Amino acid sequence: MIQVQHLSKAFTDPKRGAVRAVDGVSFEVRKGEIFGLLGPNGAGKTTTLRLLATVMAPTAGTAVLNGHDVVRSPGEVRRHIGFLSGDMGLYHRLTPREILAFFGQLNGLDGAALKSRIAEMVALLDMRSFADTKVDQLSTGMRQRVAIARTLIHDPPILILDEPAAGLDVPTARVIEEFILEARRAGKCILLSTHVMEEAEFLCDRIAVIHQGRIRITGTMEELRAATGKQRLRGIFLALLGIDVDTAGRS
Amino acid sequence: MALHRVPAIYRKEMLDLVRDRRTLISMVVVPIVAMPLLFFVIGRFVSSAEKRAGEEAAGIAVRGAESLPGLAEFLKQSGFETASQEDLRAAVRDKKIAAALEVAAREDGPPEIRIYSDNARQGSTLAARNVRRALDRFRDETVRGRLEALRVPAVVLRPFTVTEENVAPQRKMAGFFWGGMLGYIVVLLMFSGGMYPVIDMTAGEKERRTLEIFLASPAGRHEIVLGKLLAATTAVFVTALLSITSLVVAFRYSDFGRQGRQMKELAAQMPLDAPTVGLVLLALAPMAVMAASLMIAIALLAKSFKEAQSYLTPLVMAVVFPLVAGMLPGVELTPALALVPLFNVCQLIKQIFQGEFTALVFAITMAANIVYAGVAFFAAVRMFSSERVLFRT
Repeated sequence: MIQVQHLSKAFTDPKRGAVRAVDGVSFEVRKGEIFGLLGPNGAGKTTTLRLLATVMAPTAGTAVLNGHDVVRSPGEVRRHIGFLSGDMGLYHRLTPREILAFFGQLNGLDGAALKSRIAEMVALLDMRSFADTKVDQLSTGMRQRVAIARTLIHDPPILILDEPAAGLDVPTARVIEEFILEARRAGKCILLSTHVMEEAEFLCDRIAVIHQGRIRITGTMEELRAATGKQRLRGIFLALLGIDVDTAGRS
Repeated sequence: MALHRVPAIYRKEMLDLVRDRRTLISMVVVPIVAMPLLFFVIGRFVSSAEKRAGEEAAGIAVRGAESLPGLAEFLKQSGFETASQEDLRAAVRDKKIAAALEVAAREDGPPEIRIYSDNARQGSTLAARNVRRALDRFRDETVRGRLEALRVPAVVLRPFTVTEENVAPQRKMAGFFWGGMLGYIVVLLMFSGGMYPVIDMTAGEKERRTLEIFLASPAGRHEIVLGKLLAATTAVFVTALLSITSLVVAFRYSDFGRQGRQMKELAAQMPLDAPTVGLVLLALAPMAVMAASLMIAIALLAKSFKEAQSYLTPLVMAVVFPLVAGMLPGVELTPALALVPLFNVCQLIKQIFQGEFTALVFAITMAANIVYAGVAFFAAVRMFSSERVLFRT
């Protein structure tokens, strides 16, 4: 469902000069799979996801999502993805129902179909009690459910999740994990970026470790263990980054 | 180019705007309440200051009136309350009386009258002026009496009379006086009223991290810009409409005192028929698009609401210059000056209210402002297409 080939993004930063935020990244994500992009802050995870969501344009390479090229058909790509970030990106002065209606309309839903889909999402995520309350009056957990509903309103086959549980407490993060696992059961293709080892280890079928814009390794946990000789993801990760390998070996 | 998502984007932006307190204050409260309140307060202040000055101006002191027979009686008949004071200068300075006059008899000529006033005090200035007028009348009556005694007709000293007539119709006078001021205030309020909505939908979206989600939706960049631009233009135009309505009401019903009676009478003459108001709104339309686009393009450069405010505040202040230029005496809207943005629309509004605009100047102003609006719109679209602007860190 997602094929990424030598994808690159270079830009000039006034402070840092020429920067290659993403440098020849290649990977594939299949239907019904959770693929984790694991890396430290500034590794290029968010830029990669922005390139795939067509929010940014690549400077080299290609990416095809559900048969649509990110450069040639960005509009088609966006129709087939659901994008969620840790900030949630909700309009605080709108109610959940208004937000769902807006994103439903942007995705081509209208009239009875839109109404019925909103009702379905409200029931599915148990939002009945707050569907007509403005977002700025909702708790973090409620907002997270609204963000999930907004991501799924058009039933996209691909989910792109940029550190979706960042900054959340454990019970709220659990809501996100449940949503991701449920999406896999529904056969969706899920690309997830994170820097939380436990999250990646718990959720992902395959993991790619990215550092300084380049993918250092890709595989299942078993493949990663075999390649590095480390048991825990933390040790694998630090070994690949070349940081404190002795300490990493004990973990 | 698909545009079918624009109505949904517009509706969402408007819903978001009308629920924002800052936007409501700048877009609705300031034009509806603040400006008329300002006029009302100024009017009341002027009116009560005038009343106080009038009461104060009646109290004067006179010394040496016996040198001019009949003067003391004439002043009393003219409404002055006369009192005697030892030191006339000190009495005026210490506000015991509004003004004083001292009549000094002279051996070699007619008596000399000296008027003492404190020109830093409105009541004293008014009293001195009233005294001077009363003395002029007293002199005329004295001269007339002496001429009659000599059996000389009064026409000898007054061979002709002068009458001035203003040929400008009341509508033109109203347009001249209020039209220029109205255009100036409305255009200024359009910028200040549009500022918060524009910041909210650009830098505000960046700061709240909603912009990235919006950009990852199937909506095209041109649809997003157009939806936002329509909402911002609506905000700017609503500000203009509310400003015009409240200012006209304020002009008509504020009390500007005796001095402002003519202003009030002129305000009542302002033509508010459908063609005039329609032409004014038509003249403002491209300006509203230009203002909204320009502010969107600039505000999008900012990372946060505060930063955008610091970018747009100087713009709103810069708007004052071409507007003030239009209020300078003798400045008129020529075909060449019709190319100067903001200045042209203010002058055109004045001319529309005066009922004096030419088709050529109207066409040039509209064409120039449509071109400026187009350039500003493309600048806004360009900003929305720039990753460096959208993802500035």
